[in-house]
Amino acid sequence: MRVKDLHLLPKFRDALTYLYVEHCRVEQDDRAIALWQAQGKTPVPCASLSLLMLGPGTSITHAAVATLADNGCLVLWCGEEGVRLYAHGLGLTRSAAYLLHQARLWANPRTRLQVVLRLYRMRFEEPLPDTLTLKQIRGKEGVRVREAYARASRETGVPWHGRAYRRDSWQAADPVNRALSAANSCLYGICHAAILALGLSPALGFIHTGKMLSFVYDVADLYKTRLSIPLAFRETAAGLQNLESRVRQACRDEFRRIFFLKTIIQDLQALLDLEALADSEDWEKYHQDEALPGGLWDPEEMETVAGGQNFAPDREEET
Amino acid sequence: MVVLILEKVPTSLRGELSRWFLEPKTGVFVGKVSALVRDLLWDKVCRGKGQGAALMIYNSNREQGFDIRSHGETSRQVVDFEGLLLIRIPQ
Repeated sequence: MRVKDLHLLPKFRDALTYLYVEHCRVEQDDRAIALWQAQGKTPVPCASLSLLMLGPGTSITHAAVATLADNGCLVLWCGEEGVRLYAHGLGLTRSAAYLLHQARLWANPRTRLQVVLRLYRMRFEEPLPDTLTLKQIRGKEGVRVREAYARASRETGVPWHGRAYRRDSWQAADPVNRALSAANSCLYGICHAAILALGLSPALGFIHTGKMLSFVYDVADLYKTRLSIPLAFRETAAGLQNLESRVRQACRDEFRRIFFLKTIIQDLQALLDLEALADSEDWEKYHQDEALPGGLWDPEEMETVAGGQNFAPDREEET
Repeated sequence: MVVLILEKVPTSLRGELSRWFLEPKTGVFVGKVSALVRDLLWDKVCRGKGQGAALMIYNSNREQGFDIRSHGETSRQVVDFEGLLLIRIPQ
């Protein structure tokens, strides 16, 4: 049975944040979704879940994917604890309101600059004076990152000669740089998941530009000095045996410990003012009627023109 | 609100619990008691369950809005997925 009334679905902020599973079969079970493991089956309340993350060792049936999509639960295939992102399904929202909002903010230089400044301000613990130019803020940000590296180096005793890596040769970098690259790739995976979960575009970056994951880099930069830098230095100080794999595991444990996915989603909502949008008319409209045709854009009309109509003039008017 | 689900416990325990709770179905108790009384009653259940088992579900400020405690060999197990509580049904 397809879900008819989308009002039955909890809104994103009411929904449970995420469920991460590994080593199980995900199948349809009496019109619900259940995880099958050797110990038994675990039904999943998929209509009140916003994100199902499938880790290593999972398999999923077509019927289960259809039910999850119907209930607006985004499915992501990822590495352990979301440290990589391989593929994704259909997200929660039938309304493109968030995505259009992001595109509007991105397309207008004035609003884009506001978001850029907000992204920078979110990284500083102390409030920045309003008089600073973007160039000055970039300078302050450079100092902040340099201090984070120096502090981590002081605390762990791992020598630091600057961020240096060669994209064509992983082993050419020194151990702490390899650890940093591994930690950052884990961070990109989970930020990518959060962006998709909200129905935003990973490509429309505000600070970064030009790549399919520009917005992922924007968001991940909020957390590098807090998460990946101290963690990479800590793991390097602990020894060089299986360094990259230990870093990935440490990332996973840390993400779980601080409920990181939830934090990113809350930060994204604050960054782009998404809370206000979820109550907007469009949002309600598409939630009430999933198959409602979208509007047609018109530069002269203030509102969109209704879709799903034939605008050909009547025959009598034709001459 | 507190919900207690008891399996195969002595009738004396069920009788005692009916002083605080309603029993809409055999072994299922519902009521509203303070956190302190709730914990004391849970201790009583754990001590007096004999060969049986017990589940207690009560309001809390977790993401799901409730918390689940279990004691003894309940027929279904509570599984914690990083803070999300689900129920596993043995096959």
